[in-house]
Amino acid sequence: MTPPPAEPVAALIRPVPVARDSQVNRDLLRVMEGTSVGYWALLHIAVGFMLAAGGVWIYQVYKGLGIAGYAHPIFWGAYIVTFVFWVGIAHAGTLISAILYLFRAKWRNAINRSAEAMTIFAVLTAAQFLGIHVGRIWKSYFILPYPNQRALWVNFKSPLLWDTFAITTYATISMVFFYVGLIPDLAIARDRSTGWRRALYSVLALGWQGTSRQWKSHSRTVLHLSGLATPLVLSVHSVVSWDFAMSIVPGWHATIFAPYFVAGAIFSGFAMVLTMMIPVRRIFGLEAYITDYHFENMSRFLLLTSIIVGYAYGSEYFMAWYSGVESEQTAFWKRAFGPYWISTWVMIICNAFVPQLLWFKKIRTHVPTLFAISVLVNIGMWFERYVIIIGGLSREYDPAVWGIYTPSWPELIIVAGSFGFFCQFFLIFLKLFPVVAIAEVKELEIHAKAHGGGH
Amino acid sequence: MPQLLGVFTQPQHIADAARRLRDRGFTDIETFSPAPFAELDDAVDPKPSGVRAWTLIGGLTGVVTGYAMTLWMANNWQIMLGGKPFSSIPPYTIIAFELTILFGGLMTLFGLLAVGRLPSFRMHKAYNARFSAEDFGLVVDCRDRDVAEIDGLMREHHATEVSVVQA
Repeated sequence: MTPPPAEPVAALIRPVPVARDSQVNRDLLRVMEGTSVGYWALLHIAVGFMLAAGGVWIYQVYKGLGIAGYAHPIFWGAYIVTFVFWVGIAHAGTLISAILYLFRAKWRNAINRSAEAMTIFAVLTAAQFLGIHVGRIWKSYFILPYPNQRALWVNFKSPLLWDTFAITTYATISMVFFYVGLIPDLAIARDRSTGWRRALYSVLALGWQGTSRQWKSHSRTVLHLSGLATPLVLSVHSVVSWDFAMSIVPGWHATIFAPYFVAGAIFSGFAMVLTMMIPVRRIFGLEAYITDYHFENMSRFLLLTSIIVGYAYGSEYFMAWYSGVESEQTAFWKRAFGPYWISTWVMIICNAFVPQLLWFKKIRTHVPTLFAISVLVNIGMWFERYVIIIGGLSREYDPAVWGIYTPSWPELIIVAGSFGFFCQFFLIFLKLFPVVAIAEVKELEIHAKAHGGGH
Repeated sequence: MPQLLGVFTQPQHIADAARRLRDRGFTDIETFSPAPFAELDDAVDPKPSGVRAWTLIGGLTGVVTGYAMTLWMANNWQIMLGGKPFSSIPPYTIIAFELTILFGGLMTLFGLLAVGRLPSFRMHKAYNARFSAEDFGLVVDCRDRDVAEIDGLMREHHATEVSVVQA
């Protein structure tokens, strides 16, 4: 039998007329079209923040880490705080894509794409801080399994090295997950665009045509990646927490740290997805796809993880008291009433108390309130890491070596710049790739149609 | 040798048509679908996807690499610490775990490319942008004398249009 006649690749560049396009395609591809003045303004602000931080970072490379506010005994400052913050943000995407996929929670389809994108951008942002914190950036390859000049290898018993492997794996697998999910949508965009976009999408879509062979391997791939990413997402923040828990600093050396950090990461990740998607839905008119129902479900996750995080706060205090260990008790007393009491109470109020409002359906479905809560949670979660890291280090065993750290202006600019770094990627993503997983939304719609009327 | 293209609007209809055609001996079938539908993919080819083997091989390679690398490196330059063993399995398990996921995930991606035959540098002659909208396409290679039968069969299964693909 002769092979089926085929079109040469040059023909890909010719637009295919679409006789009857679907409403879903039109609605969701429209987000990528055109750019308003507001968009450019936001992009410029984001890039501006990033460039300011880049400039300060170059200054830091030139001057050394002395320009950071480090003061004995605190040598993990705002950089590590912000690193942990961004790694935490990165957790919602894979949770939504992988774990909710395995649980067949269909509501994830409207938000998984943007959440996955946020995951990648947040991991990229977090990774910057490893280099920034190291100070001597030209030596950062020391963390790779590579023998030094005396042929000594890295120490695999160090949690910092586990972190390298966890973050690298997480970044890679998140990108693979994102790209695999994107392929069918890139084909949709390819069939409906012209010029450079058509060329770009043609290459990225890999000649996707939605044949049964392609879909079958695609579905299997998504399933397997979900299976692999589910333990991965739980492991990443566990490993980050072990950076602390493996030490003997009072307030850090606790077995609760892994689940406590994972719950906190999911908590902050969902908050960030809400913070970003509420304005995006409004600006691009995506109310038909990202409904209040999706926001309500995400706010339920916020409530659940808030309770877990609040429980962890309580159990930390209980264990400090119940253990009878004086250094532990002092650390936690100083946490609430010592020099960093403001950060501690911001953390407790924003993370454990404010989300309790979400018990009420009226608040879960009131979008502006939800937005305000999500912003407060983001703030609270940054302060949680600040309290744990700075608060822990400032009040270790011997009062003679207690110290105070205040972030210096270069650190604050770099922290602010990380938000610009994250937002610029997200803004570019909005215009380059479909913000909602079109093929998955269609799957639900076609099913609904086939079974009469639908939802 | 003509190719017939039938256009459908519902996954169940095209799946039934594909299954009927296969049963009639027309095995050279290609479908286009805007979204994944397991019933359709299984109707065209009931065998499970080969991607599973790629994931397994990747994952096993990862776990072996993780333990082998850490154990070998710890023993390549031995550091004596208080008489403790040079290598320590529990922390190395973390590295082995991460590499299992990393290699398994990357091999799954390669499996998608290999099993799904991607990238595909030539578009099928019958492919049209309507198949990335809401329509389903079913292409059958057949002999001239079977055209009428296949046309009838597709229409019986609610094909909205049936046409001969221009070579």
